[in-house]
Amino acid sequence: MYGFKPDKATEMRVDQQLRLDEQLLLFMDQLEALEEKRHKLNSLIEEGWFSIAKARYSMGNKQVSALQYASEMEPLVYVETSVLEGRTAEFKCERKENKTEELKSNTIEDIGAKETISGLRRRINTIQKGVREEDQETDPQVKTKAESSTPEHRDPLKWFGILVPQNLKQAQSAFKEVITLAAEIASLQSAIIATRKEMQAQTKEQQQKTEKTQPEMKNE
Amino acid sequence: MPGRGKLIAVIGDEDTCTGFLLGGVGELNKNRKPNFLVVEKDTSITEIEETFKSFLARSDIGIILINQFIAEMIRHAIDAHMESIPAVLEIPSKEHPYDASKDSILRRAKGMFSAEDFR
Repeated sequence: MYGFKPDKATEMRVDQQLRLDEQLLLFMDQLEALEEKRHKLNSLIEEGWFSIAKARYSMGNKQVSALQYASEMEPLVYVETSVLEGRTAEFKCERKENKTEELKSNTIEDIGAKETISGLRRRINTIQKGVREEDQETDPQVKTKAESSTPEHRDPLKWFGILVPQNLKQAQSAFKEVITLAAEIASLQSAIIATRKEMQAQTKEQQQKTEKTQPEMKNE
Repeated sequence: MPGRGKLIAVIGDEDTCTGFLLGGVGELNKNRKPNFLVVEKDTSITEIEETFKSFLARSDIGIILINQFIAEMIRHAIDAHMESIPAVLEIPSKEHPYDASKDSILRRAKGMFSAEDFR
């Protein structure tokens, strides 16, 4: 009764419009996510600055400045980049964990140390009543202190002194979070630009098709 | 030398750089140029622009963080950068809060809403 059956051209147009609508919704979602992350990033950065200012107040003006930067630095955080289809770039933050290496003990020094310590232990044991069973195991006792590896892996916090106020540590953790967020925002930004390009391409395609069909309709 | 990952570069005022360096992004050694620039009152725009371009040219930098007020000084250079890597992220500074309307990326995204698109 209502015999209207859309022809193929109309169906295709409707599909295209649906796709465009989907892209638009995706675009809006991405923008919203970006705004949310941006807001968080900005407040974290401000929090970091505030902590730095507080640390500067307690340590002294010239104690927290570019003058304290080390002459050699090695990055502790990297960003993994990958390019997906549609030329969207993805960024993922990777932090180098500060692993404390077990000191590879020099065997000669070790034996020397063992002798003296076991010697001492024997002395202590004769003084103390009762024989200690721990006397037998010397290896774990002689564990020399594990040093942190090469100076390049040193925590940047140490540039400002051995004992730094809590505020500086808070600033550091705020900025560490900022770095992770920055990678997420970079990915989102790339996705947004890609979505926009896609939408523009689709709109152009649709316009071209409409222009093609319009002259046909005029001729009818 | 970075193994698989890329570096994060920073162009900012002293406190911004201090913060990010505390976070662990800094690289400084005699073999390579540093991946950060502390912008002071007397830093010339030429120097900032040259540093920015040198960061773009490096293949081992993934993200460039830049204070927005500094980005404004070299806006033409930032707008000209169309590649996805390295990504350029504008961040606020203490005296200049973040303004979304100035952000290059968002301006590009906003540009789509023109009358042409909805005809």
